Amino acid sequence: MNLKKLLCLALGCAFLIAACRHGVKTYQLRGQVLDKNPATNEITVNHEEIPGFMPAMTMPYKVKDPAVVMEVEPGDKIAAEVVVQKDGNDYWLEDVRITDESGRKSTPPPAPPRRLTEGERVPNLPLINQDGKTIHLDDFKGKAVLLTFIYTRCPMPNFCPRLSSQFARIHEDLLKNPEIYRKTHLLTVSFDPNYDTAPVLRRYGLAYLDNDPSGFAQWDFASAGPSDLRKLADAFGLIYFEQGNQIAHSMDIVLISPQGKIVKYWATWTTAELEDALRTEATTKPARQTAQAGGMQ
Amino acid sequence: MTRVHPCLRWWWLLVVASVLAIGPTCSDRQARQRGEELFQQNCVVCHEAPNPELKKQLPKLEDLFQSKTLPSGAPATDEQVRNTIIHGIGTMPAFEGRLSDEDVKNLLAYLHQLK
Repeated sequence: MNLKKLLCLALGCAFLIAACRHGVKTYQLRGQVLDKNPATNEITVNHEEIPGFMPAMTMPYKVKDPAVVMEVEPGDKIAAEVVVQKDGNDYWLEDVRITDESGRKSTPPPAPPRRLTEGERVPNLPLINQDGKTIHLDDFKGKAVLLTFIYTRCPMPNFCPRLSSQFARIHEDLLKNPEIYRKTHLLTVSFDPNYDTAPVLRRYGLAYLDNDPSGFAQWDFASAGPSDLRKLADAFGLIYFEQGNQIAHSMDIVLISPQGKIVKYWATWTTAELEDALRTEATTKPARQTAQAGGMQ
Repeated sequence: MTRVHPCLRWWWLLVVASVLAIGPTCSDRQARQRGEELFQQNCVVCHEAPNPELKKQLPKLEDLFQSKTLPSGAPATDEQVRNTIIHGIGTMPAFEGRLSDEDVKNLLAYLHQLK
């Protein structure tokens, strides 16, 4: 192969690689690993400002290559590429390089609490909703429930505002089908109970319900006391902790069956996927549910 | 006793006047610069970058104080904008506990110069 052909081949490859990156934006990240979670393929990074994407903060990030999660240790300083879908649907880390291992912690951090697995019964902890009323997850038995966690002051559009916007779209869609509407429920739980009191949650909820309070009949916004909230978060594998004047957190969505059992978690998702799963669970034939329930008990 | 030229007797007045004249200008410029940093860190991500995933797109802010009213319909006053930043409005989150009074003042200084 002569030099000209080789050059053409190289240019062709470069074009193909560039084409593969179509539809995403990339940003450079530098920071220190604080925690890692092989189960969810995430690392929590205290990073410097990422110009054009995010101010300096501590955030959990999904990592494209699972081997990276095994390799990095809390304390490591890393450089990586944050890859963000242009529609803001998803983001993750690629090309993670350890730049400094000297801060590596000799003792591994305590393992995160084991989250409930599919088929396990959800805890029936008390929550306070947007009307100041105490509710329990058991109140929604007989309905398929989609649950997620947010805090109303979250300033990152790809985090809590995105989750609430997606739930709002699902709510609007379900509203068009009264039968499914009656068989489903949405539950948004705040992990910032000190700020997210009932009136704050009500105001927040109304913003996503087009100021129609009747929507609260199908979509509750709730919080809980710190102890119960921690138990609930641990049960669903949510990570959250205060970081300066913000709250660093993972994003968790869980589908709960009409029998009050875990059906599915999502690490990545689209609104359509969530809605389809919720609809399917709400209309699942009792025979399958009974068999499933029997198998788990 | 040494005689001083009358003009030189009041040299200190000249210094004081200069400080008074230049001081606020520097301070204002610093406030706007800090405000711009805060704007880039906290506001741009929602107000300047449309995100189809969000239920509502937040308005651009370049002419916020050029109109008599804010996008919400409230009067375009410092107090109203401060209140919106601190307590949030609609789907815009509250920045209470995250931005100090000084931060908000600097942000307002920057927003005023946007056109």
